[in-house]
Amino acid sequence: MTEVVGTPRLELCSLTKSFGAVRAVRGVSLAIAPGEIHGLCGHNGAGKSTLINMLAGNVAADAGEILLDGEPLSFAGPRDAQRAGIATVDQELSLVPTLTVAENIVLGQVGAGFLRHARHARRRAAELLAEVGLEDVDPDTAVDELSIGTRQLVEIARALGREARLLILDEPTATLTEVEIERVFRAVRGVAAQGCAVIFVSHRLGEVLGLCDRVTVMRDGERVLDAHVGELSPDALVEAILGEHLQPAPHRALDPRESTTALTVESLAIPGRLQGFSATLLGGRVYGLAGQVGAGASDVLRALAGLVPAATGRVRLGERRLPLGNAAAISACGVGFVSGDRKAEGLFISRSILENLTVAQLGRIARGGRIGGAAERRRGCELAEAAHVPTERLGEPVGVLSGGNQQKALLGRYLLHSGVEVLLVDEPTRGVDVGGRAAIHELLREAARQGQVVVFASSELDELLELGETIVTMRSGRVIGTYAEGTTREELLSDLTHREGAAA
Amino acid sequence: MSGRRRLGRWLRPEAMVRVLSFAVVLAAYLLTPVYHDHSLSDFDVFNTLQGFASLGLIALALGLTIIAAEFDVSVLGMQALGGVLAVKAGADSGLLGVLAATAACAFLGAVQGGVIAKLRIQSMSVTIGTYIALLGLTNVIAGNETLTFTNTGAAIWINQTVASFFSPRSLIALGVFALVMLVVGATRIGPELRALGGDRRAGRVAGVPVDRRLTALFAVSGALAGLAGAMLAYSNASASLNPGLGPLVLAAAAAVLGGLSLRGGRGAIWGLLLGALAVALLEQVFTVTALPASSAQIVFGSLLLVVVVVDAPDLRSSLARLQARRASMRQLPHEIKPKAQRS
Repeated sequence: MTEVVGTPRLELCSLTKSFGAVRAVRGVSLAIAPGEIHGLCGHNGAGKSTLINMLAGNVAADAGEILLDGEPLSFAGPRDAQRAGIATVDQELSLVPTLTVAENIVLGQVGAGFLRHARHARRRAAELLAEVGLEDVDPDTAVDELSIGTRQLVEIARALGREARLLILDEPTATLTEVEIERVFRAVRGVAAQGCAVIFVSHRLGEVLGLCDRVTVMRDGERVLDAHVGELSPDALVEAILGEHLQPAPHRALDPRESTTALTVESLAIPGRLQGFSATLLGGRVYGLAGQVGAGASDVLRALAGLVPAATGRVRLGERRLPLGNAAAISACGVGFVSGDRKAEGLFISRSILENLTVAQLGRIARGGRIGGAAERRRGCELAEAAHVPTERLGEPVGVLSGGNQQKALLGRYLLHSGVEVLLVDEPTRGVDVGGRAAIHELLREAARQGQVVVFASSELDELLELGETIVTMRSGRVIGTYAEGTTREELLSDLTHREGAAA
Repeated sequence: MSGRRRLGRWLRPEAMVRVLSFAVVLAAYLLTPVYHDHSLSDFDVFNTLQGFASLGLIALALGLTIIAAEFDVSVLGMQALGGVLAVKAGADSGLLGVLAATAACAFLGAVQGGVIAKLRIQSMSVTIGTYIALLGLTNVIAGNETLTFTNTGAAIWINQTVASFFSPRSLIALGVFALVMLVVGATRIGPELRALGGDRRAGRVAGVPVDRRLTALFAVSGALAGLAGAMLAYSNASASLNPGLGPLVLAAAAAVLGGLSLRGGRGAIWGLLLGALAVALLEQVFTVTALPASSAQIVFGSLLLVVVVVDAPDLRSSLARLQARRASMRQLPHEIKPKAQRS
């Protein structure tokens, strides 16, 4: 903290906040200079979100002070924070889907005037979109027509347009691809160069080290590390986050059991999205589909899960033909699908962990048509143990779990020979912290060891390299390359981003 | 580019539906001389607009809350209360009665909106309670008797014919529509209203003062219903103590015909206007053709059903899928046609 010369842009003095008995943030002090990009890391539940929420005006601190340019701040809501010059990109997407891009960009802007100036708003929106590389998005497009990644970029564009003194980005890259992330970084460096201080929250440590000037790590509500990135190694960062040394995962240490399961895919296609995907996928192996949003990797999974009615092609699981477009029938054949959007398409977020774990295996636990009681509980405990979800919390709603535990609970549905032979997982660790990520990867390896065909799609190169035994790269709905014997980051990146005519 | 894009959006089925349903109803109305022994006169138009005056403001009150993903059942209670208050307070001055009714209902609406906003409760449940309580209050104020409006001057004035087709009552209703259309269309209120319905949390994060807007929304909805009740009581020269559920059903029908989504976040005031006019026209068609009430209900219900089905997003996307599928099969004749997977 001694490095900040002059008045820091943002200064936190012993900030404290408790929720009931939980002390979420305990006496955190911090100083950020104008123009500094400051990384904020930590487990889910380490107190990052509470800290951010206090800065964004969503939550009031119990004790301590927030100083912006030396002025103490106190605010009653997001509008006050905005007035003070703090712009936040929330962890959850915060665009209104029924409004246009331009309407969303000016929505709620303090001091924007009572009358609407549609033409001005459209022009301003176009400028801001260009800053995040969305020149080709029409400001009059309704937001619900945009992909998730594009929406995230629009939200970042909106924050840039608020001309803030402090910009807070809470996991802005979780849904973005490498190319999009690079655009965001460029835009963030741009506003920082103009003197705006930036707080950047991310689970992707490579990004933190690549973008930020300094990093603060929080654990159990306390600040445990505050260092220049130059003085930090990735291992030191992981150790600070976990509070222990992470055992390196046994890389590709799979010893596949004899498995006779095979998923044969012939010319799987979706008009306008995916062309002629063919592959034979064997039980006991983990397959990674690499691709940016729109490249087709997720589409393959969704089509195989029967969620794309327009899909054509021939898919066989063993001898059985899978009826494409019929999700219920495909699921009955033993194909499990874990969506990349677990809140909308995976979990019953307000129901208990127990119910979420057992929901795909109700036939097993039903006694005379009734579910509930000891059988359900017993099965739930078995699945929770297999998925490494805390068994003592089975009765709690699944929504209170951290992202990593939610994802484990979702995967738990398909574990332990529940008749699932093929496991399709879209973005296995989106919004999951380092510790959870390692655990989820291990779960998927274990599923493969049990003989399941495991296929995942990811836009994150590190994840593909860590988890995928066979990696298939995709671009524009087409397969570019297949790597069964290992590959490198560079190779993947060139496959994913290569443009015709561009030098390799 | 964006001009063509906007035109394209207008031509989509869900945007066309409100214009088309209005056109169908209008055609049915204009063709009454053909299929029924009745020639259209100025008086028919006047009557239609009188019907619109009774229905339109209630539809507007309800419709605004629907856009914000709320549903204000209490408009019925506000209408009854407004009528009784106006008749009581307007005995000497008609204007005073209308103002008193509108202001009182606006105040009650604001209180109700504040409660809904602060406690974050579903407006449907709160407003059902308010509706019942308001009916009780109305009865207490009226002394459990239908009140006769003694200010005959005001009663005659509000129903007089203006420019063949209009009355002060229908002109006021149209004027209020124009005003709301202007405010929603030209100020930040429009996007903020749709943000309340489209994704309230996102709106809050973006900086929309959600609680204030909700309070104001229910105040406006109360005021509109109170005004409608006051004018209706003047027009009938008596205040009814219980309007029944009819006005709410008609208002909801107008909202559906007008292209509002009950899930909130979508809809325009001009669509709502067309919807309310369509319902008024339809009522007039039923009147002049002396259609039995049962048949009229069947026709009305079927029309709503057709509109809702045409507007259903699932139907639209499955049609799009079917087209995509056909197109892909034409392009790839050599490929084996997948068997029909679903009947």
